Amino acid sequence: MLTRSPFILFVLAGLLGAAVASAQMYDAKRHPDWSGQWQRIGGVQWDPSKPLGRGNQPPLTPEYQAVFEAGLADQAAGGHGNDTNYLCLPGGMPRAMTVVYPMEIIITPATTYIAIETASMFRRIYTDGRKWPDFVEPTYLGYSIGKWEDADANGRFQTLTVETRYMKGPRTFDQSGIPLHKDNQTIVKERIYLDKSNPEMLIDEITTIDNALTRPWTVTKKFRREKNPIWFEHVCAEGNHHVLIGKENYYVSDDGFLMPARKGQPPPDLKYFKQPAK
Amino acid sequence: MKWRLTLAACGSLFASGAALAHHSFAMFDQDNPVLLEGVVQEFKFTNPHTFIVLSVKDEKGSVQTWNLEGTSPSNLVRGGWSSKTLKTGDEIKLKIWPLRSGAPGGGWNVDQINFRDGKPIGGGSREY
Repeated sequence: MLTRSPFILFVLAGLLGAAVASAQMYDAKRHPDWSGQWQRIGGVQWDPSKPLGRGNQPPLTPEYQAVFEAGLADQAAGGHGNDTNYLCLPGGMPRAMTVVYPMEIIITPATTYIAIETASMFRRIYTDGRKWPDFVEPTYLGYSIGKWEDADANGRFQTLTVETRYMKGPRTFDQSGIPLHKDNQTIVKERIYLDKSNPEMLIDEITTIDNALTRPWTVTKKFRREKNPIWFEHVCAEGNHHVLIGKENYYVSDDGFLMPARKGQPPPDLKYFKQPAK
Repeated sequence: MKWRLTLAACGSLFASGAALAHHSFAMFDQDNPVLLEGVVQEFKFTNPHTFIVLSVKDEKGSVQTWNLEGTSPSNLVRGGWSSKTLKTGDEIKLKIWPLRSGAPGGGWNVDQINFRDGKPIGGGSREY
């Protein structure tokens, strides 16, 4: 019998492996056309179908709801709360996929890249069939493995499924400061595909699994293809007027002087500077 | 010429601050916007936010410098603006969200700025 021959089994396994690998290779006739510039539809809140802030209704644990509330209170007083992007830290994953400023998707044989203008974030999604490494040094954008799917079985890939792990913090879902857990065990799962009725619209279904959440949180982001794109750069450190000194954030005037951000805010402690004699 | 500094309780005229920034604009008081008219000292077309340094004369004639953060150049270039859209000496009026501390700084919105004679500035920003 066929199945009793180790040699034939070996050959069959090899052929099957080659076929799987081949299916993952880039092929202009098989891969979707995601070229051009993609601009966010909707606001910058994490779930674009709901308002920014509490109205976004994040399914936070009581502990992390308290973290969120404390951040909102700080923002209402003139601080930045849990949001660290004002210091030019990148949003990381999953926040990067809000795509505050546009993105471009580059599909290559073994990797799909997502270049996001915001904070010059550059995602690398491996589609070469690799397994998860035993260890990956955490980064804000994490480590992403993707797989092309041909759900319609019509010979063309429609969907890129992506799983991202190994992120570092601090990260929040959006600028209102919806927190992710400080243990950074976040897993982000995405399904990226063109709208079937409108190939000029890209859809990213994003499910976040995180210990700050009581359940996986799924949101849907949509993007429109810009036919006449203007590309720019977003070098955050160039002219940032916000600084954090100790635990206080300040605003910096054009001529380089600290300005208070909150009512009654004390100046920074200058204990390491020689004080003028009174 | 006398420049005006007026408190304006017209927050609803502002688009959401969320559209302005990659970070929170909650540090600016969006419930109590301020109407400013003044002369541009400098327009900085810089990341992460553009910046207007504005000379504003109050009712008593004293001049104060306001430090005003706007949306990113990324947004502005796609709305028809460039680094040359505003020049030193331009007379403008705009509604801003002031710093909560009361210091002369704040955030400005591309939908709430005109030349002082009422002419629009730039090509108008797209909705983001």
